[in-house]
Amino acid sequence: MSKTLPFQRRFWRPGKRLFPGGKTVLTLLILWLGISAAVHAQNQRVTGTVADAKGEAVPGVTVKIKNTNRVTTTDGSGRFSIDVPDLQVTLVFSSIGYAEQEQALGGRTSITLTLQSDEQALEEVVVVGYGTQLKKDLTGAVSVVRAQDVKKRQSTTVSESLQGLASGIKVRGGGQPGSEAQIQIRGLKNLSGTNPLYVIDGLVTNAGRDFNPADIESIQILKDASAAAIYGSRAANGVIIITTRKGKEGPLQVEFSGKSSIQTIPRYDLAGTEEFSRINFMAYDNAGANRQNLDLTVNTDWQDVAFRTGNVQDHNITFSGGSNTGNYLVSAGYFGNKGAVISTGFDRLSFRVNTQGKKGIFTIGQNLAITNAKADEMSGNPIIDVIRMLPTIPVYNAANPGGYGYGDEQRARTFGTNPLAIADLEDRSLENLRLRGNIFGELQILKSLKYRLNLGYETSRDHYKYLKKDGFWTLNQAFDPAIANENRAESATKLIENTLTFTENFGKHSINVIAGQSYQQDSYAQIWGTKRNLLPNPSGGYYDVLDQGNEGLTGGFRNRTDIISYFGRAEYNYADKYLINGVFRRDGVSRFGPEYKFGNFPSVSAAWRISNEEFFKVKWLNDLKLRASYGTLGSSNIGPYDYIPLINTFSTIVLGPGQNVQPGATQVKLANSDLRWEELVQQNYGFDAAFLDSKLTVSAEYFIAKTKDVLLEYPLLISTGNDGGNPRVNGVTLGNRGFEVTAGYANNDNPLKYNVTANFTTLRNKVLDLGYNKNKTYVGNTVTEVGQPIGMWYVLQTDGLFQNQAEVDNYRNAQGTVIQPGAKPGDIRFRDNNGDGQITNSDKVVVGSPWPKYELGLNFGLSYKNFEFSMDWFGSFGSTVFNGPRSVIERFDDNSNYPAGIQPWTPQNPNTTTPRAYYASTLNSRGDTDRWLENGSFARMKYVAISYNLPADFVKRAGFSRAQISVSGQNLITITKYTGLDPEFSNGSIFEKGYDFGAFPNLRTVSVGLQFGF
Amino acid sequence: MKKTFLIIFFAGLLVSTAGCKKDLLDQSNPNTLTTDQFWRTEADAQKGVNAIYHMFYQNGGFNRWIYFRLDLTSDEGFSKSPWVELADWTRFQYVNYNFWEGNVNTYRDFYKAIFRCNQVLENVPNIQFDQTRKTQLIAQAKFLRGFYYYYAAVLWENFPIVTTTQRPEDMPKQSTLAEVWALVEKDLTEASSGLPEQWTGNDLGRATKGAAQAMLGRALMQQKKWAQAKTALDYLVTGTGRNFYDLVNYQDNFRAENENNKESVFEIQFSDVNKNAEGDNPNSNMGSNRSQFFAPRSIGWSDGQARNWIVAEFKKEKTTDGQIDPRLQHTLFYPGSETDFGVKTYGRSWQWDADEAWFKKYSRDYMRSNEDYFNQINNRVIRYADVLLMYAEVQNELGQTADAYTYVNRVRARAKMAPLATAYPAIGNDQALFRERLKTERLLELCGESVRWADLKRWGDLDTQAGVNRVAERDPDFRNFVVGKSIRLPLPQIEVENNTNLRQNPGY
Repeated sequence: MSKTLPFQRRFWRPGKRLFPGGKTVLTLLILWLGISAAVHAQNQRVTGTVADAKGEAVPGVTVKIKNTNRVTTTDGSGRFSIDVPDLQVTLVFSSIGYAEQEQALGGRTSITLTLQSDEQALEEVVVVGYGTQLKKDLTGAVSVVRAQDVKKRQSTTVSESLQGLASGIKVRGGGQPGSEAQIQIRGLKNLSGTNPLYVIDGLVTNAGRDFNPADIESIQILKDASAAAIYGSRAANGVIIITTRKGKEGPLQVEFSGKSSIQTIPRYDLAGTEEFSRINFMAYDNAGANRQNLDLTVNTDWQDVAFRTGNVQDHNITFSGGSNTGNYLVSAGYFGNKGAVISTGFDRLSFRVNTQGKKGIFTIGQNLAITNAKADEMSGNPIIDVIRMLPTIPVYNAANPGGYGYGDEQRARTFGTNPLAIADLEDRSLENLRLRGNIFGELQILKSLKYRLNLGYETSRDHYKYLKKDGFWTLNQAFDPAIANENRAESATKLIENTLTFTENFGKHSINVIAGQSYQQDSYAQIWGTKRNLLPNPSGGYYDVLDQGNEGLTGGFRNRTDIISYFGRAEYNYADKYLINGVFRRDGVSRFGPEYKFGNFPSVSAAWRISNEEFFKVKWLNDLKLRASYGTLGSSNIGPYDYIPLINTFSTIVLGPGQNVQPGATQVKLANSDLRWEELVQQNYGFDAAFLDSKLTVSAEYFIAKTKDVLLEYPLLISTGNDGGNPRVNGVTLGNRGFEVTAGYANNDNPLKYNVTANFTTLRNKVLDLGYNKNKTYVGNTVTEVGQPIGMWYVLQTDGLFQNQAEVDNYRNAQGTVIQPGAKPGDIRFRDNNGDGQITNSDKVVVGSPWPKYELGLNFGLSYKNFEFSMDWFGSFGSTVFNGPRSVIERFDDNSNYPAGIQPWTPQNPNTTTPRAYYASTLNSRGDTDRWLENGSFARMKYVAISYNLPADFVKRAGFSRAQISVSGQNLITITKYTGLDPEFSNGSIFEKGYDFGAFPNLRTVSVGLQFGF
Repeated sequence: MKKTFLIIFFAGLLVSTAGCKKDLLDQSNPNTLTTDQFWRTEADAQKGVNAIYHMFYQNGGFNRWIYFRLDLTSDEGFSKSPWVELADWTRFQYVNYNFWEGNVNTYRDFYKAIFRCNQVLENVPNIQFDQTRKTQLIAQAKFLRGFYYYYAAVLWENFPIVTTTQRPEDMPKQSTLAEVWALVEKDLTEASSGLPEQWTGNDLGRATKGAAQAMLGRALMQQKKWAQAKTALDYLVTGTGRNFYDLVNYQDNFRAENENNKESVFEIQFSDVNKNAEGDNPNSNMGSNRSQFFAPRSIGWSDGQARNWIVAEFKKEKTTDGQIDPRLQHTLFYPGSETDFGVKTYGRSWQWDADEAWFKKYSRDYMRSNEDYFNQINNRVIRYADVLLMYAEVQNELGQTADAYTYVNRVRARAKMAPLATAYPAIGNDQALFRERLKTERLLELCGESVRWADLKRWGDLDTQAGVNRVAERDPDFRNFVVGKSIRLPLPQIEVENNTNLRQNPGY
């Protein structure tokens, strides 16, 4: 066996038909591999399924005929089939984490086997950075997300699909084609970019939209300091470790999965022309203004104009196989998304080759992914445009340059943007080609000592293109000619990593030590150019290359960051009862000044498996482990040169009779040259328990985290004269405390099998210290104060409407001053909180928190024979959010469309919460009041699916070894009181996290999927 | 053997990479100069000073928004903008004190300019080069700092003084109006002594001694320090400076041709060479947005327009040859201009309401039929006619009314108006009557040139409810004016909240 090269064996395959399945696949295979293959005579076929103690199918189990080389592996449903010379052979089943089992056939052609967990491995192996640990031996907080749970969802990026699958993970975003989700692990720990660190096959990088989630083998989320400390300075926001798929021991496996989805966008319920004009006239009449000359013959539904049904095509094919000395995997994927908003889309082509080979003490392997991703980006913000445009405006208007309808001074005074016009007149696209790969070699120097060298390289070539055509999309638009702008950029990451691993067992003692060193260099360079007055192409459009046009401009920049690191980890295990783990990392990074480049990040953790103690043998309790950890992590998530104050050289002036251009130069942006590491100190306490024959498992964590010297762009006083963004400063100390529980119950005793997993997260952030020795910081409608969570709502309080003049006259403070003397019946009554007899900014108070009190994920699975049903829910409760779009449509001072059925106050209709309609006065529509705050709680069915595994004999006849069809839906049910499009919105503002600026909503998606393999 | 080879290979790699040099961590910025590399040569000093002038091209100041404060807030102008908040900020309806366009942008750009002045004033004295040129550069920075504090005093009054480059954590103290004026006087006085009387060639347009004296005169007049104001203005009117200044063709003050002429005391140099957004980016706009924002509906944004009462004011007195005051056709677009002067508006006959009018000065109606963001016409911030009228006002306040006639007459004569004593014999040497007449003279000569708001403040017309009521007859926006409060803008709320040393302006 050891003499057999893996590449010879992978073509050997039992079965009469060499390559069952579609001709395309066959052709592809031949092209791909250029093969010829030996046909092996068969006698008998044996099929079966393999499940674990919980009854869950175990995929990837190696099934081997004892004393032969004949091997197969189980598929995703735990099924296998193997051809045996006779029915008296013995089959050997093996898989990591399970005890090897032998089964003599004894004449059977069908076997159902339950694998027992390995004595040494209660569960699976977990990748923890520069090595693996057994999950049962974990001393820190690590969440493992099953790849199939990620893959079953229709999402562009990994992060988007993680929501609700692990405790302590908060995900927001998605929706737009090619958009990347925001992900937060254990709360907002700093204020500068909270995305966690992604490590893909050992390369520190990010799993953006050009990473194909179908290539994932496993995801581990390192949440606490002891787990993440091995990534030291970059780990403060948590670490997501992604391992891509490898071939498994056995003959060539071909797997295809295809998914086709349609997507719809949630819509507002808006007024049509009849209702709009009635209320608009009322607003003008009340204000004593002349009514607009609205065109009542037009009734445009702008949502019909801007929105459409989107679709997604997601197809992947994988070829894999291997022997005990090597394996290979080749995959190709296509992902195409036609956006649910006009003129948006995303396309991704991906290709991956992962191989590994072993000879004697030497192992070598490589992972390579090539991806091309292109996004057709959205112009303007249709989510806001559809409410700003009036129904009385026609879509097209030949009288306007460009031919589109928009606001008009006499007939429809609005500055809303025609979404179709801007989509047509502005083209934006961003395309990138990324190569990401690593090559590693391992040398087993001694039985207990292994050396590993890992060389990583990643590069991306980005191309952004913008074209603005002639024409207008909004009222009074300043004239601009046709403009082309392009930029091209390349980024590169180089990594060299050396690690030594020592593993030894002495009786009941076992020791594992890793020591290593790494050097990483990240670089980015961009050039851009722009031209105006493009040459029109007589055949339509423009010559949009930068050769044409005039008034050209060019520019560019480049950045580089270097990181040098030394790290080590030591694990000690005594009799599976006492586990101790220590980690140390020292990082040096070029982003800081000479005295601040290096930082040290230590952590320790310990666990006590109480259930292994003699005094603690209880029947109903299968496992109980207590854990505690303490450690320090860092973050240097800043620009490469932020500590260096710069001179801006672009302040030119003209002087003299000929308006001679003269250069100017000055410092525009301030800098803090003493920038240093941001430090997260975290304590974690938790336990893992399994009850009732391990049917019920519970993990709970409590953590206390404190982030010191948070690197943030703290708002400076205007009087500093600073511009160009606030400089980074080690400004704030934040505290986060949280409690996470995950509980799962699985029952597989009956044909009807089911499992339920629930995770619960509660978390509170608190500002312990603010930048520049301040006590408070105000941003927009929020205040951030020491001792309170970040960005609490700070607004004027409304107190209903004045119903009559007497109420206005009687609304007085203690001194008898009429508080709102200018108010009329139907106007909003504001609370004079400071009692000074007038409504000013000093009446603002803290009225709510944008942070949810707790979040809940619920995953439910059910299977009966060939049917499987699963459903994931996510809920977030207790936040107060600002409905930005509502503050646009429920105001009457400025012309936007109104919500259908709005009831402004009138003397005849006083029973309403909406003030009187009044054009051109902001008094009732001011944005800094609690009028627009809403309960942001919601529960949402993130995912629901039903799948059917085609009957084995049917599948066999079709030439496949397995096939599954499924129908699934995402975001189909949302239960919420929030009146905006989507309570699960996101924005980029740290201090105003609960502000819905008109965020792109999550889409409702319905998918049909087909998977088969042979 | 192979094993040995492999071991050697790996060992080699290990050694080669383990010895990563720490100097890899010393990455310098490859993209631009650092502050350490700057402020070393005369050229650096020159560029630093130029960068202050560049602030004229940014939105908060004389590129765009300041005209909303100075022209539209006054009784000369108003806004019918459909952008309600923008219009509210020209009629004393200040709800959100953080409104960028109305308040924060201008406040921010003033401090940006002051930061640039302070950089020059701190760094240039340490650079070794020709003393004369060094003095001139420092004096320009002082002039410009005084210039911005002057307008800060006019707009916010209690504007926190910053005279050193700020560290990110610095919180300046509250300043009183008197302290701001004191700084203005000091800066302009020191500037005057270091500035040349004239610039030539490609330096034309920089601040001169005359500009500093005129700004100083303005600052002193706002404080009613009449005697000192007269001394400051003497240089331009009766002193050595008078030889450099004269009156030119009226319309030459508002057009792209004949810029930096003899009437110009201080002039902002605009150019249309860069057709890009304003800011600190490469090739950013060096033009003015004013005409794009003030041009009539369907030509520009029409966010600001003139009050129609001014037309009648022009028509009250005929020229010596019985014509309508010729300044009217260069000052306003108004319904009768085609009848009165045969002049159309951007090539169009009047198509707007009969009670409307638009500001014409610095518009490009005479050369094109539309506007954009890149207006190249220099803004004559101080012209000699203004100085002469200021001088007359100062003399009148000092009881030298008889002497004041000369200067008013000189301005009137250019417009072919009869001498004041001839036209209005009733005034005589009555100080109050003369003052009232001067108010009209300034309106007719300087309407739309951003001086009216300071004039109203100086004259005390807004200090009493009775005075405000009179102004409100011309401009109903003043019905919203609250005596003692609306005379100054609120400080940006965000600044008051984040700088614990500050108090919001009274009444806000």
